[in-house]
Amino acid sequence: MFSNFDFSVIPPSLPYIWQGLVFSFRLTVTAMLGGIIIGTLLALARLSGGKALGFAAKTYVDLMRSVPLLMMILWFFLLAPFFMKITPETSALITFTLFQAAFYSEIMRAGIQSIPRGQINAGFAIGMSYWQTMGNVVLPQAFRNMVPVLLTQTFILFQDTSLVYAIGATDLLKAADNTGKLYGRTVEMYIFVSLIYFAICFSLSMFVKYMNKRIAIIR
Amino acid sequence: MIQIQNVSKWYGSFQVLTDCTTQVSKGEVVVVCGPSGSGKSTLIKCVNGLEPIEKGSIIVNGTKVNDPATDLPKLRSHVGMVFQHFELFPHMSIIQNLAIGQVKVLGRSQDEAHERGMKLLDRVGIKMHANKYPGELSGGQQQRVAIARALSMDPICMLFDEPTSALDPEMITEVLDVMVELAQEGMTMMVVTHEMGFARKVAHRVIFMDHGQIVEDAPKEEFFGKPHSDRAQQFLSKILNH
Ligand SMILES: Nc1ncnc2c1ncn2[C@@H]1O[C@H](COP(=O)(O)OP(=O)(O)OP(=O)(O)O)[C@@H](O)[C@H]1O
Ligand SMILES: [Mg+2]
Repeated sequence: MFSNFDFSVIPPSLPYIWQGLVFSFRLTVTAMLGGIIIGTLLALARLSGGKALGFAAKTYVDLMRSVPLLMMILWFFLLAPFFMKITPETSALITFTLFQAAFYSEIMRAGIQSIPRGQINAGFAIGMSYWQTMGNVVLPQAFRNMVPVLLTQTFILFQDTSLVYAIGATDLLKAADNTGKLYGRTVEMYIFVSLIYFAICFSLSMFVKYMNKRIAIIR
Repeated sequence: MIQIQNVSKWYGSFQVLTDCTTQVSKGEVVVVCGPSGSGKSTLIKCVNGLEPIEKGSIIVNGTKVNDPATDLPKLRSHVGMVFQHFELFPHMSIIQNLAIGQVKVLGRSQDEAHERGMKLLDRVGIKMHANKYPGELSGGQQQRVAIARALSMDPICMLFDEPTSALDPEMITEVLDVMVELAQEGMTMMVVTHEMGFARKVAHRVIFMDHGQIVEDAPKEEFFGKPHSDRAQQFLSKILNH
């Protein structure tokens, strides 16, 4: 059956596929950075003891985590145009960041809680304020302890970026789909992008393993 | 310097401190001892406001610690504290551990903070390890760094919470030596410890706590001579007999 395949469609479609890949990466990196920042703030809000703020953060996290990502992507894209002009790409960037923040927040919360009370007291004892202690003592350690888990989450995030296909944002999968249809060679293109996803995820997971080992040595 | 007046504190319905009153004058060294769970750590943590109190008042250098209007970070910046488990910041080198408070809290420049830090490290005998990380040092060395870190803030008094009880016996002396030197230089110190040798050598007063109460608060000679309370006597004979 492979004799029917025509992989010669791949070279001419590479520039377009590349564009899709770049967007997939941009989406991953934006959602990761934005997600970690917002997630950390959410985690701090939950741990700070402020009742209203903590409750709001918890509700947000629980809500995000109980709705499938695909639903969030579709809902946001459907509702956002009532408030602003938005491209599928921007819509995807916002949805992913907000959604991932909930997951990163749970990771950061565990990381912050893993820092012993004595470290916080030591920060306070030399006169640091709450925010100085968080920023210089607690968060750097929490973040370091959580690097492997944060990377694993990012790697799931990268795989999930293919869902934006549903709203027509041109990521790696959508780019492959478009070119495949153009040349009438969808199956070949799907095989090709599968290999790309595999190669990237495989190297990422090797990287996570490597980081795990390195961190284990530092301790 | 430190005035503790009728302080009571509860953890939920459990009363950890009951009507504690004592004071530490300028230049005085006061040792606090007592059985495990008697509230020594809690009391000393109340002094710099790491733990809130429900009743009474604590005044440090004229500032009321348990007043909501008090700028606690500012107050703590000149009250040094040394912990049982050192609590150095493991993600920073030794010299960074000494510089961070000076830079972030006192607003000194990096250069100034490093210079002062190196002087203090020299003093506690750790200068050659300035660029190592806490995990690479022995417990005794870490505790000396922790003392140097507290001193880097130019404290007006120092609080110690069992600074040697997490150390192997051969390391206790090196830490105590630093503390003795500090005491002899006239530093105001409140020290929770069971090292009675240290108390005999430099303490002016000894406080004995039990069940959250200050049972005995006497000049050193009097305390070691003949404690008034049976509990203090029992405790002393127990820890002095090994
Ligand atoms: N955060 C807390 N919540 C509830 N109870 C606490 C808390 N911290 C301490 N306690 C209790 O308060 C009592 C006094 O504790 P504290 O640590 O002050 O004792 P200590 O005299 O320092 O004892 P040790 O010699 O073991 O250090 C103990 O019974 C302890 O279990
Ligand atoms: Mg204690």
